[in-house]
Amino acid sequence: MTTVSAPAAPARRDRKHPRLHRFLHQGGLELACVLLGGLALWSFLSHVVIPRPDRYLPSPGSVVFSSADMLWKGLLPDFVTNTVWRLLIGSGLGLGVGIPFGILLGLNRTVSDMFYPILNFFQSISGIALLPIVMIWWGTSEQTVIFVILYTVLFPISFNVLVGVRSIPRIYINALRTLGASRLQIARDVILPGALPSIATGARLGIGFGWRAVIAGEMLAGQRGLGWMIFTAQQVDLTAQVILGMTLIGIMWIVLDRYLLRPLEADTIQRWGLVQR
Amino acid sequence: MREKLIVEGLSHHYPDEYTGMDIHALDNVNLKVTEGEFAAVVGPSGCGKTTLLNILAGLLPHKVGSVRVDGHEVKGPGPDRGVVFQEHAILPWRTVERNIGHGLEIQGLPAPERKRRVQEFVDLVGLTGFENRYPHELSGGMKQRVALARTLCANPVVMLMDEPFAAVDAQTRITLQEELNRIAIATRKTILFITHNVDEAAFLGDRCFIFTRRPGKLKATVKINLPRESRVWKNAVADPAFTGARDEILSLVREEVRDDDG
Repeated sequence: MTTVSAPAAPARRDRKHPRLHRFLHQGGLELACVLLGGLALWSFLSHVVIPRPDRYLPSPGSVVFSSADMLWKGLLPDFVTNTVWRLLIGSGLGLGVGIPFGILLGLNRTVSDMFYPILNFFQSISGIALLPIVMIWWGTSEQTVIFVILYTVLFPISFNVLVGVRSIPRIYINALRTLGASRLQIARDVILPGALPSIATGARLGIGFGWRAVIAGEMLAGQRGLGWMIFTAQQVDLTAQVILGMTLIGIMWIVLDRYLLRPLEADTIQRWGLVQR
Repeated sequence: MREKLIVEGLSHHYPDEYTGMDIHALDNVNLKVTEGEFAAVVGPSGCGKTTLLNILAGLLPHKVGSVRVDGHEVKGPGPDRGVVFQEHAILPWRTVERNIGHGLEIQGLPAPERKRRVQEFVDLVGLTGFENRYPHELSGGMKQRVALARTLCANPVVMLMDEPFAAVDAQTRITLQEELNRIAIATRKTILFITHNVDEAAFLGDRCFIFTRRPGKLKATVKINLPRESRVWKNAVADPAFTGARDEILSLVREEVRDDDG
Protein backbone atom coordinates (compact mmCIF):
# COMPACT_ATOMS: atom_id res chain seq x y z
CA MET A 1 0.00 0.00 0.00
CA THR A 2 2.59 2.53 1.10
CA THR A 3 5.30 3.36 -1.35
CA VAL A 4 8.66 2.40 -0.01
CA SER A 5 11.34 4.22 -1.89
CA ALA A 6 14.65 2.49 -2.07
CA PRO A 7 17.42 4.49 -0.43
CA ALA A 8 19.20 6.53 -3.07
CA ALA A 9 22.74 5.55 -3.83
CA PRO A 10 24.80 7.94 -1.69
CA ALA A 11 27.45 8.39 -4.35
CA ARG A 12 24.97 10.02 -6.68
CA ARG A 13 24.66 13.15 -4.52
CA ASP A 14 28.34 13.91 -4.77
CA ARG A 15 28.40 13.99 -8.54
CA LYS A 16 29.32 17.29 -10.10
CA HIS A 17 26.46 17.42 -12.57
CA PRO A 18 23.48 15.64 -11.02
CA ARG A 19 21.06 16.85 -13.70
CA LEU A 20 23.22 15.68 -16.54
CA HIS A 21 23.69 12.41 -14.76
CA ARG A 22 19.95 11.91 -14.26
CA PHE A 23 19.36 12.78 -17.92
CA LEU A 24 21.84 10.19 -19.06
CA HIS A 25 20.37 7.60 -16.74
CA GLN A 26 16.83 8.11 -17.96
CA GLY A 27 17.66 7.05 -21.48
CA GLY A 28 19.00 10.47 -22.43
CA LEU A 29 22.10 8.94 -23.92
CA GLU A 30 20.10 6.65 -26.19
CA LEU A 31 17.89 9.56 -27.22
CA ALA A 32 20.92 11.70 -28.06
CA CYS A 33 22.35 8.86 -30.17
CA VAL A 34 19.11 8.47 -32.09
CA LEU A 35 18.86 12.23 -32.67
CA LEU A 36 22.47 12.52 -33.82
CA GLY A 37 22.08 9.49 -36.07
CA GLY A 38 18.94 10.98 -37.57
CA LEU A 39 20.66 14.30 -38.18
CA ALA A 40 23.63 12.55 -39.79
CA LEU A 41 21.37 10.55 -42.09
CA TRP A 42 19.43 13.69 -42.98
CA SER A 43 22.67 15.58 -43.81
CA PHE A 44 23.94 12.70 -45.85
CA LEU A 45 20.71 12.45 -47.87
CA SER A 46 20.61 16.18 -48.38
CA HIS A 47 24.26 16.65 -49.35
CA VAL A 48 24.95 13.46 -51.27
CA VAL A 49 21.81 11.66 -52.44
CA ILE A 50 19.07 14.17 -53.22
CA PRO A 51 19.33 16.40 -56.29
CA ARG A 52 18.35 20.04 -55.75
CA PRO A 53 18.26 19.72 -51.92
CA ASP A 54 17.14 23.34 -51.49
CA ARG A 55 13.85 22.40 -53.05
CA TYR A 56 13.36 18.80 -51.84
CA LEU A 57 15.32 18.32 -48.64
CA PRO A 58 17.43 21.21 -47.33
CA SER A 59 20.22 20.21 -44.95
CA PRO A 60 19.94 20.77 -41.19
CA GLY A 61 22.36 23.65 -41.60
CA SER A 62 20.13 25.56 -43.97
CA VAL A 63 17.13 25.00 -41.68
CA VAL A 64 19.11 26.51 -38.81
CA PHE A 65 20.16 29.36 -41.07
CA SER A 66 16.57 29.97 -42.08
CA SER A 67 15.46 30.10 -38.45
CA ALA A 68 18.25 32.54 -37.60
CA ASP A 69 17.13 34.69 -40.50
CA MET A 70 13.51 34.67 -39.38
CA LEU A 71 14.47 35.31 -35.78
CA TRP A 72 16.46 38.30 -36.92
CA LYS A 73 13.49 39.69 -38.79
CA GLY A 74 11.24 39.09 -35.76
CA LEU A 75 8.84 36.92 -37.71
CA LEU A 76 9.38 33.68 -35.81
CA PRO A 77 8.54 34.96 -32.31
CA ASP A 78 5.51 36.64 -33.82
CA PHE A 79 4.21 33.44 -35.46
CA VAL A 80 4.88 31.34 -32.38
CA THR A 81 3.01 33.79 -30.15
CA ASN A 82 0.08 33.84 -32.57
CA THR A 83 -0.24 30.09 -32.58
CA VAL A 84 0.09 29.70 -28.82
CA TRP A 85 -2.48 32.40 -28.16
CA ARG A 86 -5.00 30.80 -30.48
CA LEU A 87 -4.45 27.45 -28.76
CA LEU A 88 -4.87 28.95 -25.30
CA ILE A 89 -8.05 30.85 -26.13
CA GLY A 90 -9.61 28.01 -28.10
CA SER A 91 -8.72 25.38 -25.50
CA GLY A 92 -9.83 27.63 -22.65
CA LEU A 93 -13.22 28.06 -24.27
CA GLY A 94 -13.40 24.34 -25.08
CA LEU A 95 -12.65 23.36 -21.50
CA GLY A 96 -15.02 26.02 -20.18
CA VAL A 97 -17.88 24.52 -22.13
CA GLY A 98 -16.78 20.86 -22.03
CA ILE A 99 -16.18 20.41 -18.29
CA PRO A 100 -19.64 21.53 -17.10
CA PHE A 101 -21.22 19.69 -20.03
CA GLY A 102 -19.37 16.47 -19.17
CA ILE A 103 -20.39 16.75 -15.51
CA LEU A 104 -24.01 17.23 -16.50
CA LEU A 105 -23.84 14.18 -18.78
CA GLY A 106 -22.15 12.13 -16.07
CA LEU A 107 -24.72 13.00 -13.45
CA ASN A 108 -27.86 12.49 -15.44
CA ARG A 109 -28.57 9.29 -17.39
CA THR A 110 -31.49 10.81 -19.24
CA VAL A 111 -29.46 13.74 -20.48
CA SER A 112 -26.53 11.56 -21.49
CA ASP A 113 -28.73 9.04 -23.32
CA MET A 114 -30.22 11.95 -25.21
CA PHE A 115 -26.90 13.55 -26.18
CA TYR A 116 -24.70 10.49 -26.63
CA PRO A 117 -25.57 9.66 -30.27
CA ILE A 118 -25.26 13.32 -31.24
CA LEU A 119 -21.89 13.56 -29.53
CA ASN A 120 -20.74 10.39 -31.21
CA PHE A 121 -21.80 11.75 -34.59
CA PHE A 122 -19.88 14.98 -34.18
CA GLN A 123 -16.88 13.23 -32.71
CA SER A 124 -16.36 11.53 -36.07
CA ILE A 125 -16.27 14.86 -37.89
CA SER A 126 -12.79 16.18 -37.29
CA GLY A 127 -12.19 19.87 -36.83
CA ILE A 128 -10.64 20.06 -40.29
CA ALA A 129 -13.78 18.64 -41.89
CA LEU A 130 -15.68 21.39 -40.13
CA LEU A 131 -13.42 24.15 -41.45
CA PRO A 132 -15.13 24.70 -44.83
CA ILE A 133 -18.52 25.43 -43.29
CA VAL A 134 -17.03 27.68 -40.61
CA MET A 135 -15.11 29.53 -43.32
CA ILE A 136 -18.36 30.10 -45.16
CA TRP A 137 -19.71 31.72 -42.00
CA TRP A 138 -16.73 33.76 -40.85
CA GLY A 139 -14.15 33.65 -43.66
CA THR A 140 -10.43 33.54 -42.89
CA SER A 141 -10.63 35.12 -39.50
CA GLU A 142 -9.40 34.62 -35.97
CA GLN A 143 -12.90 33.49 -35.04
CA THR A 144 -12.78 30.61 -37.51
CA VAL A 145 -9.53 29.18 -36.17
CA ILE A 146 -10.58 29.54 -32.55
CA PHE A 147 -13.94 27.95 -33.18
CA VAL A 148 -12.29 24.92 -34.75
CA ILE A 149 -9.99 24.51 -31.74
CA LEU A 150 -12.92 24.84 -29.35
CA TYR A 151 -14.80 22.20 -31.31
CA THR A 152 -11.81 19.86 -31.30
CA VAL A 153 -11.16 20.20 -27.56
CA LEU A 154 -14.82 19.82 -26.63
CA PHE A 155 -15.24 16.08 -27.32
CA PRO A 156 -12.27 14.54 -25.56
CA ILE A 157 -12.89 16.68 -22.49
CA SER A 158 -16.64 16.01 -22.39
CA PHE A 159 -16.22 12.25 -22.77
CA ASN A 160 -13.47 12.06 -20.21
CA VAL A 161 -15.39 14.06 -17.64
CA LEU A 162 -18.50 11.99 -18.34
CA VAL A 163 -16.60 8.77 -17.64
CA GLY A 164 -14.84 10.34 -14.67
CA VAL A 165 -18.08 11.39 -13.02
CA ARG A 166 -19.65 8.00 -13.68
CA SER A 167 -16.75 6.13 -12.13
CA ILE A 168 -16.96 7.95 -8.79
CA PRO A 169 -17.87 5.19 -6.32
CA ARG A 170 -21.52 5.40 -5.34
CA ILE A 171 -20.52 4.81 -1.73
CA TYR A 172 -18.82 8.24 -1.52
CA ILE A 173 -22.08 9.88 -2.44
CA ASN A 174 -24.08 7.71 -0.05
CA ALA A 175 -21.63 8.40 2.77
CA LEU A 176 -22.08 12.11 2.27
CA ARG A 177 -25.84 11.82 2.11
CA THR A 178 -25.84 10.08 5.47
CA LEU A 179 -23.79 12.97 6.84
CA GLY A 180 -26.67 15.19 5.79
CA ALA A 181 -25.06 16.78 2.72
CA SER A 182 -27.19 18.67 0.20
CA ARG A 183 -26.95 18.07 -3.55
CA LEU A 184 -24.80 21.15 -3.90
CA GLN A 185 -22.46 19.99 -1.15
CA ILE A 186 -22.18 16.57 -2.80
CA ALA A 187 -21.35 18.21 -6.13
CA ARG A 188 -18.69 20.39 -4.50
CA ASP A 189 -17.13 17.81 -2.18
CA VAL A 190 -17.48 14.57 -4.17
CA ILE A 191 -18.30 15.06 -7.84
CA LEU A 192 -15.87 17.85 -8.63
CA PRO A 193 -12.80 16.50 -6.83
CA GLY A 194 -13.69 12.95 -7.89
CA ALA A 195 -13.76 14.00 -11.53
CA LEU A 196 -10.60 16.10 -11.30
CA PRO A 197 -8.16 13.39 -12.46
CA SER A 198 -10.28 12.74 -15.54
CA ILE A 199 -10.65 16.47 -16.10
CA ALA A 200 -6.84 16.66 -16.13
CA THR A 201 -6.53 13.68 -18.48
CA GLY A 202 -9.25 15.01 -20.75
CA ALA A 203 -7.64 18.45 -20.83
CA ARG A 204 -4.30 16.95 -21.80
CA LEU A 205 -5.86 14.88 -24.57
CA GLY A 206 -8.06 17.74 -25.73
CA ILE A 207 -5.25 20.26 -25.87
CA GLY A 208 -3.20 17.68 -27.79
CA PHE A 209 -5.92 17.47 -30.43
CA GLY A 210 -6.32 21.25 -30.24
CA TRP A 211 -2.64 21.67 -31.07
CA ARG A 212 -3.13 19.77 -34.31
CA ALA A 213 -6.31 21.70 -35.02
CA VAL A 214 -4.66 25.08 -34.61
CA ILE A 215 -1.98 24.20 -37.18
CA ALA A 216 -4.54 22.86 -39.65
CA GLY A 217 -6.83 25.82 -39.03
CA GLU A 218 -4.06 28.31 -39.64
CA MET A 219 -3.14 26.61 -42.91
CA LEU A 220 -6.58 27.09 -44.34
CA ALA A 221 -8.08 30.00 -42.51
CA GLY A 222 -5.38 31.76 -40.57
CA GLN A 223 -3.32 34.84 -40.95
CA ARG A 224 0.17 34.41 -39.52
CA GLY A 225 1.02 31.66 -37.07
CA LEU A 226 3.11 28.52 -37.55
CA GLY A 227 0.55 26.67 -39.67
CA TRP A 228 0.21 29.64 -41.97
CA MET A 229 3.99 29.93 -42.11
CA ILE A 230 4.61 26.41 -43.39
CA PHE A 231 1.68 26.59 -45.79
CA THR A 232 2.78 29.83 -47.40
CA ALA A 233 6.44 28.78 -47.42
CA GLN A 234 5.47 25.75 -49.46
CA GLN A 235 3.82 27.96 -52.07
CA VAL A 236 7.06 29.88 -52.64
CA ASP A 237 9.37 26.85 -52.38
CA LEU A 238 10.93 27.88 -49.06
CA THR A 239 11.42 24.25 -48.07
CA ALA A 240 13.81 25.07 -45.22
CA GLN A 241 11.08 27.14 -43.64
CA VAL A 242 8.58 24.31 -44.01
CA ILE A 243 10.89 21.95 -42.14
CA LEU A 244 11.62 24.60 -39.53
CA GLY A 245 7.88 25.03 -38.90
CA MET A 246 7.31 21.30 -38.56
CA THR A 247 10.20 20.94 -36.14
CA LEU A 248 8.97 23.82 -34.01
CA ILE A 249 5.48 22.35 -33.84
CA GLY A 250 6.88 19.11 -32.47
CA ILE A 251 9.29 20.71 -30.03
CA MET A 252 6.72 23.15 -28.67
CA TRP A 253 4.27 20.33 -28.04
CA ILE A 254 6.85 18.34 -26.10
CA VAL A 255 7.63 21.36 -23.94
CA LEU A 256 3.93 22.13 -23.35
CA ASP A 257 3.10 18.53 -22.54
CA ARG A 258 6.07 17.87 -20.32
CA TYR A 259 6.14 21.06 -18.31
CA LEU A 260 2.47 22.01 -18.10
CA LEU A 261 0.01 19.26 -18.91
CA ARG A 262 1.69 16.17 -17.48
CA PRO A 263 2.54 17.71 -14.10
CA LEU A 264 -1.06 18.92 -13.85
CA GLU A 265 -2.35 15.42 -14.44
CA ALA A 266 0.19 13.67 -12.25
CA ASP A 267 -0.36 16.09 -9.38
CA THR A 268 -4.03 15.37 -8.83
CA ILE A 269 -3.79 11.68 -9.52
CA GLN A 270 -0.72 10.89 -7.47
CA ARG A 271 -1.39 13.11 -4.50
CA TRP A 272 -4.65 11.34 -3.82
CA GLY A 273 -3.32 7.91 -4.61
CA LEU A 274 -5.98 7.37 -7.24
CA VAL A 275 -3.79 5.16 -9.37
CA GLN A 276 -1.86 2.08 -8.37
CA ARG A 277 1.78 2.79 -8.72
CA MET B 1 -34.44 3.63 29.15
CA ARG B 2 -35.64 5.35 26.03
CA GLU B 3 -35.98 3.60 22.74
CA LYS B 4 -33.89 5.38 20.13
CA LEU B 5 -34.60 3.12 17.17
CA ILE B 6 -37.93 1.41 16.56
CA VAL B 7 -38.63 -0.79 13.55
CA GLU B 8 -42.21 -2.02 13.17
CA GLY B 9 -43.68 -4.34 10.57
CA LEU B 10 -40.92 -3.58 8.06
CA SER B 11 -41.11 -5.56 4.82
CA HIS B 12 -39.25 -4.95 1.61
CA HIS B 13 -39.34 -6.25 -1.95
CA TYR B 14 -37.17 -5.25 -4.86
CA PRO B 15 -36.67 -6.47 -8.41
CA ASP B 16 -33.42 -8.34 -9.04
CA GLU B 17 -30.93 -6.22 -10.94
CA TYR B 18 -30.34 -8.78 -13.70
CA THR B 19 -33.32 -11.10 -13.88
CA GLY B 20 -35.96 -8.58 -12.84
CA MET B 21 -37.44 -11.23 -10.56
CA ASP B 22 -39.07 -10.02 -7.38
CA ILE B 23 -36.87 -10.48 -4.33
CA HIS B 24 -38.50 -10.56 -0.94
CA ALA B 25 -35.68 -9.22 1.20
CA LEU B 26 -37.32 -8.43 4.52
CA ASP B 27 -40.49 -9.81 6.04
CA ASN B 28 -42.27 -8.10 8.92
CA VAL B 29 -39.22 -7.09 10.91
CA ASN B 30 -39.82 -5.71 14.40
CA LEU B 31 -37.02 -4.55 16.66
CA LYS B 32 -36.15 -1.88 19.19
CA VAL B 33 -32.80 -0.50 20.26
CA THR B 34 -32.64 1.43 23.50
CA GLU B 35 -30.49 4.41 24.31
CA GLY B 36 -26.81 3.56 24.72
CA GLU B 37 -27.37 -0.04 23.68
CA PHE B 38 -25.05 -1.95 21.38
CA ALA B 39 -27.25 -4.15 19.21
CA ALA B 40 -25.67 -6.67 16.87
CA VAL B 41 -27.51 -8.13 13.88
CA VAL B 42 -26.36 -11.51 12.54
CA GLY B 43 -27.70 -13.69 9.82
CA PRO B 44 -26.61 -15.84 6.89
CA SER B 45 -25.35 -13.94 3.86
CA GLY B 46 -28.13 -12.65 1.66
CA CYS B 47 -30.59 -12.43 4.55
CA GLY B 48 -31.31 -8.78 3.93
CA LYS B 49 -28.99 -7.34 6.59
CA THR B 50 -27.59 -4.74 4.26
CA THR B 51 -31.06 -3.97 2.89
CA LEU B 52 -32.16 -3.35 6.48
CA LEU B 53 -29.24 -1.02 7.08
CA ASN B 54 -29.85 0.91 3.88
CA ILE B 55 -33.48 1.40 4.85
CA LEU B 56 -32.54 2.56 8.35
CA ALA B 57 -29.96 4.93 6.84
CA GLY B 58 -32.66 6.31 4.55
CA LEU B 59 -30.71 5.41 1.41
CA LEU B 60 -33.42 2.97 0.38
CA PRO B 61 -37.05 4.06 0.68
CA HIS B 62 -39.44 1.64 2.38
CA LYS B 63 -43.13 1.29 1.66
CA VAL B 64 -44.31 -1.24 4.25
CA GLY B 65 -43.85 -0.73 7.96
CA SER B 66 -42.26 2.05 9.93
CA VAL B 67 -38.80 3.07 11.06
CA ARG B 68 -38.48 5.70 13.76
CA VAL B 69 -35.35 7.28 15.14
CA ASP B 70 -35.82 9.31 18.28
CA GLY B 71 -39.54 9.36 17.53
CA HIS B 72 -39.18 10.67 13.97
CA GLU B 73 -40.15 8.59 10.95
CA VAL B 74 -37.21 7.97 8.60
CA LYS B 75 -37.89 9.51 5.18
CA GLY B 76 -34.38 9.85 3.80
CA PRO B 77 -30.76 10.13 4.88
CA GLY B 78 -30.09 12.50 7.75
CA PRO B 79 -27.44 13.46 10.26
CA ASP B 80 -29.43 11.83 13.10
CA ARG B 81 -28.19 8.47 11.77
CA GLY B 82 -24.49 8.00 11.17
CA VAL B 83 -23.34 5.15 8.98
CA VAL B 84 -20.01 3.33 8.90
CA PHE B 85 -19.87 1.36 5.67
CA GLN B 86 -18.31 -1.97 4.82
CA GLU B 87 -15.97 -0.60 2.18
CA HIS B 88 -13.80 2.43 2.49
CA ALA B 89 -16.20 5.28 2.11
CA ILE B 90 -13.85 8.04 3.18
CA LEU B 91 -12.82 10.50 0.49
CA PRO B 92 -9.33 9.92 -0.97
CA TRP B 93 -8.84 13.61 -1.74
CA ARG B 94 -9.35 14.72 1.86
CA THR B 95 -6.82 14.37 4.63
CA VAL B 96 -7.68 12.40 7.78
CA GLU B 97 -8.58 15.60 9.56
CA ARG B 98 -10.79 16.94 6.79
CA ASN B 99 -12.54 13.58 6.40
CA ILE B 100 -13.32 13.38 10.09
CA GLY B 101 -14.57 16.96 10.21
CA HIS B 102 -16.67 16.59 7.05
CA GLY B 103 -19.97 16.10 8.88
CA LEU B 104 -19.36 19.19 10.99
CA GLU B 105 -18.36 21.14 7.88
CA ILE B 106 -21.67 20.15 6.28
CA GLN B 107 -23.50 21.22 9.41
CA GLY B 108 -21.77 24.59 9.11
CA LEU B 109 -19.82 24.53 12.36
CA PRO B 110 -17.22 27.34 12.49
CA ALA B 111 -13.64 26.25 11.82
CA PRO B 112 -12.09 26.79 15.29
CA GLU B 113 -14.86 24.84 17.04
CA ARG B 114 -14.65 22.17 14.33
CA LYS B 115 -10.91 21.81 14.74
CA ARG B 116 -11.28 21.26 18.47
CA ARG B 117 -13.97 18.60 18.01
CA VAL B 118 -12.03 16.86 15.24
CA GLN B 119 -8.91 16.63 17.40
CA GLU B 120 -10.97 15.03 20.16
CA PHE B 121 -12.08 12.23 17.82
CA VAL B 122 -8.69 11.88 16.13
CA ASP B 123 -7.31 11.16 19.58
CA LEU B 124 -10.23 8.90 20.51
CA VAL B 125 -9.67 6.55 17.56
CA GLY B 126 -5.90 6.64 18.00
CA LEU B 127 -4.91 8.55 14.87
CA THR B 128 -2.95 11.31 16.59
CA GLY B 129 -0.09 12.34 14.33
CA PHE B 130 -1.87 11.24 11.16
CA GLU B 131 -4.14 14.29 10.85
CA ASN B 132 -2.63 15.47 7.58
CA ARG B 133 -2.23 12.14 5.84
CA TYR B 134 -4.27 11.11 2.83
CA PRO B 135 -6.24 7.84 2.99
CA HIS B 136 -3.94 6.05 0.51
CA GLU B 137 -1.12 6.52 2.99
CA LEU B 138 -3.05 4.60 5.68
CA SER B 139 -3.57 0.91 6.33
CA GLY B 140 -7.01 -0.66 5.96
CA GLY B 141 -7.56 -0.64 9.70
CA MET B 142 -6.64 3.03 9.96
CA LYS B 143 -9.02 3.91 7.16
CA GLN B 144 -11.86 2.31 9.09
CA ARG B 145 -10.82 4.28 12.16
CA VAL B 146 -11.17 7.44 10.08
CA ALA B 147 -14.62 6.33 8.90
CA LEU B 148 -15.64 5.59 12.48
CA ALA B 149 -14.36 8.95 13.73
CA ARG B 150 -16.10 10.80 10.88
CA THR B 151 -19.42 9.25 11.87
CA LEU B 152 -18.92 9.82 15.61
CA CYS B 153 -17.77 13.39 15.12
CA ALA B 154 -21.07 14.35 13.46
CA ASN B 155 -22.74 13.22 16.71
CA PRO B 156 -25.63 11.11 15.38
CA VAL B 157 -28.46 9.81 17.60
CA VAL B 158 -27.95 6.28 16.30
CA MET B 159 -24.86 4.83 14.72
CA LEU B 160 -25.37 2.18 12.01
CA MET B 161 -22.46 -0.05 11.13
CA ASP B 162 -22.45 -2.38 8.13
CA GLU B 163 -19.77 -5.07 8.60
CA PRO B 164 -17.16 -2.37 9.08
CA PHE B 165 -14.34 -4.81 9.88
CA ALA B 166 -15.08 -7.40 7.19
CA ALA B 167 -12.33 -6.18 4.89
CA VAL B 168 -9.43 -5.99 7.34
CA ASP B 169 -7.07 -8.81 8.34
CA ALA B 170 -7.79 -10.96 11.40
CA GLN B 171 -5.21 -9.36 13.69
CA THR B 172 -6.39 -5.84 12.92
CA ARG B 173 -10.00 -6.92 13.30
CA ILE B 174 -9.42 -8.08 16.88
CA THR B 175 -7.80 -4.77 17.77
CA LEU B 176 -10.55 -2.77 16.11
CA GLN B 177 -13.24 -4.76 17.93
CA GLU B 178 -11.66 -4.00 21.29
CA GLU B 179 -11.21 -0.38 20.27
CA LEU B 180 -14.83 -0.08 19.20
CA ASN B 181 -15.93 -1.51 22.53
CA ARG B 182 -13.84 1.08 24.34
CA ILE B 183 -15.21 3.87 22.15
CA ALA B 184 -18.78 2.68 22.65
CA ILE B 185 -18.25 2.87 26.42
CA ALA B 186 -16.67 6.30 26.17
CA THR B 187 -19.29 7.85 23.90
CA ARG B 188 -22.37 5.94 25.17
CA LYS B 189 -23.64 5.80 21.59
CA THR B 190 -26.65 3.79 20.52
CA ILE B 191 -25.29 1.38 17.92
CA LEU B 192 -26.77 -1.09 15.46
CA PHE B 193 -23.96 -3.28 14.20
CA ILE B 194 -24.45 -5.63 11.27
CA THR B 195 -22.13 -8.59 10.82
CA HIS B 196 -22.01 -12.18 9.64
CA ASN B 197 -19.29 -12.94 12.16
CA VAL B 198 -20.83 -14.66 15.21
CA ASP B 199 -17.81 -14.10 17.47
CA GLU B 200 -17.85 -10.43 16.65
CA ALA B 201 -21.57 -10.13 17.43
CA ALA B 202 -21.21 -11.92 20.77
CA PHE B 203 -18.12 -9.94 21.72
CA LEU B 204 -19.54 -6.51 20.96
CA GLY B 205 -23.28 -6.75 21.47
CA ASP B 206 -25.44 -6.19 24.52
CA ARG B 207 -28.07 -7.99 22.54
CA CYS B 208 -27.88 -9.88 19.32
CA PHE B 209 -30.68 -10.10 16.75
CA ILE B 210 -30.52 -13.25 14.65
CA PHE B 211 -32.11 -13.13 11.22
CA THR B 212 -33.48 -15.97 9.13
CA ARG B 213 -32.36 -16.42 5.58
CA ARG B 214 -34.33 -14.64 2.89
CA PRO B 215 -36.90 -13.28 3.33
CA GLY B 216 -35.20 -11.93 6.42
CA LYS B 217 -37.24 -12.16 9.60
CA LEU B 218 -36.18 -11.73 13.17
CA LYS B 219 -35.60 -15.31 14.31
CA ALA B 220 -34.40 -14.81 17.88
CA THR B 221 -32.83 -12.31 20.24
CA VAL B 222 -29.93 -13.34 22.45
CA LYS B 223 -28.84 -11.26 25.41
CA ILE B 224 -25.13 -11.24 26.18
CA ASN B 225 -24.55 -10.83 29.90
CA LEU B 226 -20.96 -9.74 29.76
CA PRO B 227 -20.12 -6.36 31.25
CA ARG B 228 -18.74 -4.05 28.56
CA GLU B 229 -15.75 -3.16 30.69
CA SER B 230 -14.53 -6.76 30.80
CA ARG B 231 -14.73 -7.34 27.05
CA VAL B 232 -11.18 -8.07 26.10
CA TRP B 233 -10.52 -11.00 23.77
CA LYS B 234 -7.96 -12.55 26.10
CA ASN B 235 -10.56 -12.92 28.88
CA ALA B 236 -13.71 -13.28 26.83
CA VAL B 237 -12.69 -16.58 25.22
CA ALA B 238 -12.68 -18.18 28.68
CA ASP B 239 -15.78 -16.43 30.02
CA PRO B 240 -18.93 -18.59 30.02
CA ALA B 241 -21.08 -15.47 29.56
CA PHE B 242 -19.37 -14.93 26.21
CA THR B 243 -18.93 -18.51 25.08
CA GLY B 244 -22.49 -19.44 26.07
CA ALA B 245 -23.96 -16.55 24.08
CA ARG B 246 -21.66 -17.23 21.15
CA ASP B 247 -22.60 -20.92 20.99
CA GLU B 248 -26.29 -20.08 21.21
CA ILE B 249 -26.03 -17.52 18.38
CA LEU B 250 -23.92 -19.89 16.33
CA SER B 251 -26.39 -22.75 16.56
CA LEU B 252 -29.26 -20.40 15.62
CA VAL B 253 -27.36 -19.13 12.59
CA ARG B 254 -26.24 -22.64 11.61
CA GLU B 255 -29.86 -23.77 11.43
CA GLU B 256 -30.38 -21.22 8.68
CA VAL B 257 -27.23 -22.12 6.80
CA ARG B 258 -27.78 -25.90 7.07
CA ASP B 259 -31.19 -25.67 5.44
CA ASP B 260 -29.55 -23.87 2.60
CA ASP B 261 -26.98 -26.60 2.03
CA GLY B 262 -29.58 -29.39 2.17
